[in-house]
Amino acid sequence: MPDVQALVNDFVLKLKRRKIEGSQASARQTAELLRTVVSQQRMPYTNQAATLIDAVRTVGEHLIAANPVELAVGNIVRRVLHIIREEDLTSTATAMEGLSLIANSDDDDNFESHDHPALSAAALAAAARSTLRAPSLQTLLEGTPESALAPNPSSSGGDSEGKSKSADRSSRTKKLKHDVIEAINELIQDIDTCHEQISEQAVGLIHQNEVILTLGRSRTVKEFLFAANEKKRSFRVFVAEGAPRYQGHVLAKELVAKGLQTTVITDSAVFAMICRVNMVIVGAHAIMANGGVIAPVGINMVALAAQRHAVPFVVVAGSHKLCPLYPHNPEVLLNDLKSPSDLLDFGEFSDCMDFSTSGGSPLLHVVNPAFDYIPPKLVSLFITDTGGHSPSYMYRLIADYYSADDFVVKRRPTS
Amino acid sequence: MWRRSASFVLDKGLLPSPPREHPLRSADDAMEPNVLQDPNANPSHGISAYYQTRAEHHAVVTSDWLAQAQAAVALTGGKPFSVIDEFNYWRKKPDLAEAVAAIMALAAFIRSSEATTMMELEIELKKASDTLKSWDTTSISLSAGCDLFMRYVTRTSALEYEDFNAAKLRLIERGEKFGEISLKARRTIAMLGQDFIFDGCTVLVHGFSRVVLEVLKLAASNRKNFRVLCTEGRPDRTGLRFSNELAQLRVPVKLLIDSAVAYTMDEVDMVFVGADGVVESGGIINMMGTYQIALVAHSMNKPVYVAAESYKFARLYPLDQKDLAPALRPIDFGVPIPSGVEVERNARDYTPPQYLTLLFTDLGVLTPSVVSDELIQLYL
Repeated sequence: MPDVQALVNDFVLKLKRRKIEGSQASARQTAELLRTVVSQQRMPYTNQAATLIDAVRTVGEHLIAANPVELAVGNIVRRVLHIIREEDLTSTATAMEGLSLIANSDDDDNFESHDHPALSAAALAAAARSTLRAPSLQTLLEGTPESALAPNPSSSGGDSEGKSKSADRSSRTKKLKHDVIEAINELIQDIDTCHEQISEQAVGLIHQNEVILTLGRSRTVKEFLFAANEKKRSFRVFVAEGAPRYQGHVLAKELVAKGLQTTVITDSAVFAMICRVNMVIVGAHAIMANGGVIAPVGINMVALAAQRHAVPFVVVAGSHKLCPLYPHNPEVLLNDLKSPSDLLDFGEFSDCMDFSTSGGSPLLHVVNPAFDYIPPKLVSLFITDTGGHSPSYMYRLIADYYSADDFVVKRRPTS
Repeated sequence: MWRRSASFVLDKGLLPSPPREHPLRSADDAMEPNVLQDPNANPSHGISAYYQTRAEHHAVVTSDWLAQAQAAVALTGGKPFSVIDEFNYWRKKPDLAEAVAAIMALAAFIRSSEATTMMELEIELKKASDTLKSWDTTSISLSAGCDLFMRYVTRTSALEYEDFNAAKLRLIERGEKFGEISLKARRTIAMLGQDFIFDGCTVLVHGFSRVVLEVLKLAASNRKNFRVLCTEGRPDRTGLRFSNELAQLRVPVKLLIDSAVAYTMDEVDMVFVGADGVVESGGIINMMGTYQIALVAHSMNKPVYVAAESYKFARLYPLDQKDLAPALRPIDFGVPIPSGVEVERNARDYTPPQYLTLLFTDLGVLTPSVVSDELIQLYL
């Protein structure tokens, strides 16, 4: 598949050069690329799911390595892997219906040995599906497949190879691939529509005459505020300008164009103004598994100010930003250092760049970090496309979207 | 009689022999004068059997402990098959957690049961589990294990079998499989937990937890450089034993007296504790002193991590410290206690969930609120 390889390389290059900005764009393009990968993949008669998983995994590794700071890429790779696993299980179950349970799938040798006809294929599918979910006490007690027991990060992904036993595979050769592509299309659609889904909840959260504070510019926040405005809510917005890129100025202009009463404040004025604010709404770069947030620089300060004055701190983010990793994980890069030109023009500080002093390194350093990490206890509420969630319930969403085997995409080749 | 059961033979092999011959009543009478005044009439005379087991596992079997354990067993014998004998046999195994021992005992009970219908079996099992639970009311993991097993029996696809024998077989098999989980769970937790130990960090541990030890062991074998601070863990000196284990792994260890926790907290990066039981609120019940360590850590913004297997999840909701039956144990102050002075002999305290950061369990890394979620899902 030379053309797929070319596409992958192209995308990797774009990611490396940071030509794709924003998690939504990266998420969408990753999903599209993986769709191509899946559709171009040659399907063998046996072990289809494993082949697909392997293909997606190898591409995924490259993509994640290309821009490890953009967690959305990794999230989408994991989502796609999860989709493949899930579709495989469903198709196994439907195939099973005709086969009357003789050749059973991976997990239940118990079922198999007793060969009990009362267990319907639907029940079996449910049981199998539960193996995909994060392990819980319930799965521990009921069907106990090995993979669900130990979400072993180093166990390489192919826990679904076992299913190859089933007899007439050929009938569903095309089926699996087709289903997976369908599901990826749905995922892409979800990514596209996440803003609408989130902004639908705006009216319930923003009340009449409230004062909302935000920092910088996030598309999700913008749409959220617009949606409330369209529903004839009158409220005021304080926009902290979001140094050093001053995206807040852009947002303020957009808000005013829609007829919202807007006040621009400097980042340093946040604490001074927070006592007049009813709610803080910000966007995020990524949401971690513990409910912590990686967000544009400056937001941690806003969160602390909000906590000090007991102002609700709401984070709006599409579900593609939900990352199943913990911020302590060594493979999570929490920050990205941007070019110092945002802070100072080259001409302004060129006279400080005297390389002759102190052993050839200049006395002046300019650091421009891109992100803040906000601990979960500072966040009051997450608004995602599936509704509002408290930070401690992020695990539930993660269990829905990802399978435990995929949390570590990268480590496999090294071990 | 218990002497004739298979467990006796194995017990003999497991434990050191000297005080074995005559478990005289005088042995435990002489032990602690105030034990007998204790109103909490437990077969082991007011001393929590749970801590007894732990002490034995940690190889500090004193003759007192042994005499007591034997007296306890002798009192309960008499039936042709006693679930308690069975339980005692299992719990003496050093690597087996108490909950798993209970499950093993109940599985053995099913095997030896002569019930002919599922209903009968269920009732008998319920009785057995109640005896087991009442035998040691202080052990949370024991009752949690019993509850989990009962839950499994009353609510599982196993009961869909028409043939009673098949169902029974399946129950036995499941029970035994559940037992195997014990060791696997510890390994899973170690895998999850060691990610949180980063190079150059300082970990504070309290109490002797096999799971925590496993986590630290794995981290050490992955060539992570970290330092461990061990509290002394009065009165059973768990910290000394823990530091000994760590020293053998060549992990730098420092021992603290229990009261030095706040003093050293600023150099600590994370607090790591095990748990006797994880309760429905997401809080934990653990060795005395955990609560105050968690409070200190919380006020200094240090994360508190708990490593606990999922079979320790118990359906309890303590509202305060005194809500649970105290697990009493002897405390040796080294000097005679003046007459008329009371001694707080409870062995554990309750740490509310707001002071815990994360729980490492075999179900994954959980926030405290997930625990209640899991329990509700299971028992609803």
